[in-house]
Amino acid sequence: MRLLQHIWSIYLRVTSKFPALRSFVPFIPLLIAWTLVTELAIFPRAFLPGPVDVVNAFGTLTYKGVLTQYLEDSVIRLAVGAAFGIALGIPLGVLVGLSDRVRQAVWPLLLFFQAIGDIAWLPILLVWFGFSLTTMTLVIVYTVLFPIVLNTSLGVRSVSTDLHRAALSLGASKLRVVWEVVLPGALPNIMTGLRNGLGYGWRALIATEIIVGTSGIGFMMFDARRAGSVVEILLGMVVLGTLVCGRQLGTCAHRTRDW
Amino acid sequence: MKSLAIQNLSKTYFDPYAGANVTAIHDISLHVKQGEFVSIVGPSGCGKTTLLNMLAGFIPPSGGSIMIDDKPVKGPGADRGVVFQTFALFPWKTVLENVGFGPCMRGLPKSECDNIAREFLSLVGLEHAADRYPNELSGGMQQRVGVVRALANNPDVLLMDEPFASVDAQTRMTLQEELTRIWQERRPTILFITHDVAESVFLADRVVVLSKGRVLEDMPIALERPRAWEHLIEDDTFKALSAQVLHKVRSA
Repeated sequence: MRLLQHIWSIYLRVTSKFPALRSFVPFIPLLIAWTLVTELAIFPRAFLPGPVDVVNAFGTLTYKGVLTQYLEDSVIRLAVGAAFGIALGIPLGVLVGLSDRVRQAVWPLLLFFQAIGDIAWLPILLVWFGFSLTTMTLVIVYTVLFPIVLNTSLGVRSVSTDLHRAALSLGASKLRVVWEVVLPGALPNIMTGLRNGLGYGWRALIATEIIVGTSGIGFMMFDARRAGSVVEILLGMVVLGTLVCGRQLGTCAHRTRDW
Repeated sequence: MKSLAIQNLSKTYFDPYAGANVTAIHDISLHVKQGEFVSIVGPSGCGKTTLLNMLAGFIPPSGGSIMIDDKPVKGPGADRGVVFQTFALFPWKTVLENVGFGPCMRGLPKSECDNIAREFLSLVGLEHAADRYPNELSGGMQQRVGVVRALANNPDVLLMDEPFASVDAQTRMTLQEELTRIWQERRPTILFITHDVAESVFLADRVVVLSKGRVLEDMPIALERPRAWEHLIEDDTFKALSAQVLHKVRSA
């Protein structure tokens, strides 16, 4: 008992000096368990390679430039799709949030199309645009769009009437009210929308790459299945987890001013 | 000489819950001279906030006219500054940026806006808080910022909508005294909406009693300035005037 408390106090002291460690420590038991399972050959080695094999594959693929290329392709596709989604989504969200009439006209449509979901559009996009970058980008734009529009409009509506009126009575034109009051006021919600949108967008990207794939992390994982190379599948999963999780942990540590 | 002329003002709107038209303001005519301090007092639901919203231009009147120096009022504008019960400070801007907002909207350069803001902040002793954010200030301090933010824009009329209703009683008395001090220094034209009878008499030159959308009484207040609570709370004239106003408000 005393020993556990002692270990815990060492842990607290070390992590208060190096806060980043807090994110890594929980993975240690997982890695240990994983190594044990593979060493004891509970499953055939070909079905579940160990962490060392995954690290080796990481080294080989990075050396060959394959992993970096695939990663670059995936990230660029997401970035392009997200850029369009944001450029369309935020203005639309502001419009829906500000105008009751627009909102009533458009809201049921938004909910309906959001429910259809991104992947369900893939068959018809493949018919229209084929196995191309256009298809992939459109899926990502679609996926990223809805969280952004819905969250932005929520944020816009949450800005109190008194703040609008204060700005107007201080001489701001309606347009300046949007820029100076509505957008900053809606910003926390817009950030939530961005985070959600990017999260969904990333997942949709991987799924699209599996189906449409010519390159990218999703393609790598699926292609490895055909070659029977489980190591690369696991590597892809680890990379995905680290990328997305790392971003989330980064945003947690990010300074958010609460207003 | 900027004067505010309200002529036969009325406001009717359709209440979906009642399923009928509701008249909030029947027929109000009021004339306010430059530099006057007018209190508008009345029971809840008498239409005082509706009146202020129409004067500020936030809602359109149904009938009658509002003129500032013979120019009709259409929509909100910098000539009518507003101080809100909820303070309505921009939470993402510092105190300095809040107070300098009006001059900034007029297109003045940032340094000029900051100078004006500091000048007005020193009026209420808040220059030291210039770089703080509104949520770091107490309620009394926030409303002081609200008041000087409106004043810094040099409006023709300052409309105050129950501005001290959200602060505690002691702070309220301090703010009331500060407001009269600022008014004596700068002489803006002020229309002060309140439900507090004593407050209305303490602050104003004239008290207008409103009830059910009509003006019941327009009473001049012959009390000396500067006004301090410690004196007036025992003053017979003050007590008599307050009683008169209260009686009128309750008689409705």
